[in-house]
Amino acid sequence: MILIVGGSASGKSAYAEQTAIEAAGARKLYYCATMQIDGEEGLARARKHQKQRQGKGFCTIERGRDIAGLAGRISGGVVLLECLSNLVANEMFAGDVIYAPLAVAQKVYREICCLNECAAGLVIVTNNVFEDGIVYDRATMRYLEALAAVNCMLAKEADTVTEIVAGIPLTVK
Amino acid sequence: MELYIGGFAQGKLAYVRKKYPQYTDLDVMDGSMPCGFHQHFKIWNHFHLWVKRRLLEGGDPESELEQFLTAYPDSIIICDEIGNGIIPLDHEERQYREYTGRLLCRIAKEAVCVERIICGVGCRIK
Repeated sequence: MILIVGGSASGKSAYAEQTAIEAAGARKLYYCATMQIDGEEGLARARKHQKQRQGKGFCTIERGRDIAGLAGRISGGVVLLECLSNLVANEMFAGDVIYAPLAVAQKVYREICCLNECAAGLVIVTNNVFEDGIVYDRATMRYLEALAAVNCMLAKEADTVTEIVAGIPLTVK
Repeated sequence: MELYIGGFAQGKLAYVRKKYPQYTDLDVMDGSMPCGFHQHFKIWNHFHLWVKRRLLEGGDPESELEQFLTAYPDSIIICDEIGNGIIPLDHEERQYREYTGRLLCRIAKEAVCVERIICGVGCRIK
């Protein structure tokens, strides 16, 4: 398991794609997109990302929640999961109630571990959104707690953790 | 003096507690609590919240920190990274970031060890 963390537009996606391609070799390569497409802007964004990946050999799977359900489908392949910030938000704000941060974190962590067991390799992209010092509304703070907790859990499990700064990979673990 | 910095909820205190299992809850002072420096503690958590509070209370965090550094040179300070965002329009929020950043530089200069924690993993940067 490889965890890649970075700020917005830090170049983490491009680095993650390259990492996944190298890890896959001749194996099947899957791109698991966690963004739930909502409206035209979302659709345009998804299309842009698809275009970026064109010709790189990725088979795209869109899945906003309950990603353990993909385990059978990706079995034996290498999976690029992008990205955790969407996945955690989708899980947290799925229903009328906002689930507790630790419960959401544990669910996401367990499901990712499940994917990891079936895949030949798993590359996960996550966001560093924790350094602006802003105290947001309660729901957002709880979301940040959940995402941070998933990041910590996965970092512990991961073989390598890399932070991307201005496109440059820094080894965290 | 040792300094541990990193983003919100990155597992900084857990990291320090794991590194120094000999310290208990009683050795930790939380910066958000109105507690003086009269009692000795080993780990000063949420340093940024202390800065925020002292500024709101009209205190002088700069000179208070100097007194602390002299009195307890072997302490551990834990602080959130709060400076990697847009500079706020609000004066108090701006002051809070300005002071926290400057004081972190001061502590880091004094510190024998500075670690940055991300995703619960520490990287020694000094």
